[in-house]
Amino acid sequence: MSSGTSIHSATRALRAAVVLGAAALLVSACSSAGASTAPAASNAAGAAPSSAASASGAAPASASSGGQSATITFMEAMSSGTLKTTLDGLVSQFEKAYPNITVTLIPEPNYATLQQKEEASVAAGNPPTIGQAYENWAATYAASNAIVPLTSYISGPNGVSSSEQSDFWTGIWQDLYLPDGKIWMWPFNKSDYVMYYNQNMLQADHLAVPTTWTQFAAAAKAATTGGDWGLSMNPGTSSAPANGTYMFVSMMRAYGGHLLLNGKPDLNTSAAVQALTLLATMEKEGALKVGTNYPGQTALGAGKSLFDMSTVASYYYNQQAVGTKFTMGTAAFPNGPAGQGNAMQGTNIVIFAKSTPAQQQAGWTFMHWLTGTQQTATWASGSGYLPVTKSGLAAMSSYVATHPYVTIASQSLQSARGVPAQSWFTEEQGAIATALESVLINHESPQSALATAQATSAAAASSGS
Amino acid sequence: MLESRWGYAYLVPALLILVAFTFGPALFVVYISFFNWNLLDPALSHPVGLENFTRLLGSARFIGSLVVSLYFTLATVAASALAGLGIALLLNRHTIGRSTARVAVFTPYVTPLVATSIIWIWIFNPQFGLANAVLSAVGLPELQWLESTTWALPAVIMYTLWHNLGFTVIIFLAGLTTISRELSDAARVDGANAWQELRWVTLPQLVPTILFVVVISSIGALQAFTQFYTMTGGGPLGATTTTSYLLYQEAFVFYHTGPAAALAVILFLITAGLTLAQLRLGRNRGATA
Repeated sequence: MSSGTSIHSATRALRAAVVLGAAALLVSACSSAGASTAPAASNAAGAAPSSAASASGAAPASASSGGQSATITFMEAMSSGTLKTTLDGLVSQFEKAYPNITVTLIPEPNYATLQQKEEASVAAGNPPTIGQAYENWAATYAASNAIVPLTSYISGPNGVSSSEQSDFWTGIWQDLYLPDGKIWMWPFNKSDYVMYYNQNMLQADHLAVPTTWTQFAAAAKAATTGGDWGLSMNPGTSSAPANGTYMFVSMMRAYGGHLLLNGKPDLNTSAAVQALTLLATMEKEGALKVGTNYPGQTALGAGKSLFDMSTVASYYYNQQAVGTKFTMGTAAFPNGPAGQGNAMQGTNIVIFAKSTPAQQQAGWTFMHWLTGTQQTATWASGSGYLPVTKSGLAAMSSYVATHPYVTIASQSLQSARGVPAQSWFTEEQGAIATALESVLINHESPQSALATAQATSAAAASSGS
Repeated sequence: MLESRWGYAYLVPALLILVAFTFGPALFVVYISFFNWNLLDPALSHPVGLENFTRLLGSARFIGSLVVSLYFTLATVAASALAGLGIALLLNRHTIGRSTARVAVFTPYVTPLVATSIIWIWIFNPQFGLANAVLSAVGLPELQWLESTTWALPAVIMYTLWHNLGFTVIIFLAGLTTISRELSDAARVDGANAWQELRWVTLPQLVPTILFVVVISSIGALQAFTQFYTMTGGGPLGATTTTSYLLYQEAFVFYHTGPAAALAVILFLITAGLTLAQLRLGRNRGATA
């Protein structure tokens, strides 16, 4: 074969490859919309709770469904390790207590996949009965009538008493509402931020555990000597917020700022400028370094930085990183002039609208049962998440004895605030991360960076994306 | 005739799969690029004409992503073609350890992108990484690497080269086996030195291989995503936000389905246009060579 012929053949083959490759690329752009990730079919006619199934804290389910059986599906991301085994155990307990209800778990590997699968299943008209959802996901689902409000269940026969309501930490209860003033979510796996510190380094510098952000900055500066520094953090990016993003949000709230004011972004405030200026000063002094891939944990574990500001979920990994090199302490996030402003993490549970009324009732029965005192304690002890009720915390005293940070972090849930329930919040979050990058990497002024973040967020809010 | 009918019949299953899972969705992407598309409730979608395209073409983020994509594509294609050719020429000689060297060069290519990207994040760690340790050892200033708007993209390029070079080398090695040894022998008999032999005998015969490498590498570079997702998340400050990454961000982070579809269409046109231009250029050169 001549070289000309071979070029011609190669050309044709490559043209085909280009078309196929580009088509594959296009497909990838819509694969989540087109993929049918339908959960197992739920063929039950209705929920049939056992009258003897009074889980502590959650009243037995209504008998209104007349003893019919119900199969519900729960799309969730608690798919590995102790998260999986603990949830599996709770589901078994529930099915024993409510023999007419079968719960089929649909595990997803992570939150990003969970969101894509939930959206795809809604788009395909075959969503699960219930699913984990962040607050802004719930806002998006509600705007498309994909989920139902929980108002009727809360005030129904298997509803929530005022004493049960007051048992939830204030921040947890407030997190259940969408801006329309209705409750659309029920709490599930919640955590918040704590301050991890190198106790030996703090003692060597004759410093007390900081309780305010000013003291925190001073301690970080004092520790910045001889190759050590105060804190490493990941500011996040426009598409991937990180611990640094939420730390700044907590600081901003502690200084009296808000992510939203009257449902609109409110980033360009003196409180936000004060918080960001504090971080900028720390960076300028060498007390704060930015990085990726859990830099706080790496630097703390290496004995190089004084602090790591992470969620309670990091406790085990931080302890592993520290080993026996030094004593790792934990404390509540510092306060600002407006108190503590912790950023709550984790998801709630929503009921999807497509399922039958009997399935929805059974779904409510299950999620309500999960927040009973014993179930809350079992879930928190097994998963490492925080108890969403005060009675749940009280019921896990033996666990708290070996995990003292749980009390600190749980009490922070009283004032912690979750992700604002706005569909466009992902963009505001990205804008905040970008502002942090601008200040800490490109040394832009906090005022200018926050003005840009505000403009970006306001544009997203006005387009309602 | 009967045989060819059976041939087409055998193709039907594959064709159905392609239509259902590739061409059909691809056409659907083109369709929704003209809509303000509601993913959860398509009934709430409404047509917007060319608005998704015009907004995109006037967007600084899109233009910025094109610049990043161009930078990444030019750097990776040029470097992988040059380095790949050089290494292939070395490995083409009959020397001791040649097979081991070939395996060593090709091994990174078969490693998972996510796993090796995470290893390279550690290499580029400003405080604890190997890259800065090497710079310090030779007396050069340390860099912020993935935390620098200047160095983040070169860092991802270095990783990509490390990962993909083995493929390029193998293609060049295959190309070198097809060239005429008689021509090289004749050139040497006529007094050509090594450079002259490479420039006037080897390279002209390698044109189809070079063309293949350039086209395939360009398509790969324009579609590169995993290393950006893992190593930088498109940051810092958009310094590594390629058009492919922007497409992901619009489609799966912000759920701007219509604009994301428009972006996918534009990226397809760019990829197809560049590839056809390269092929035309290569064909013209082949004709004049």
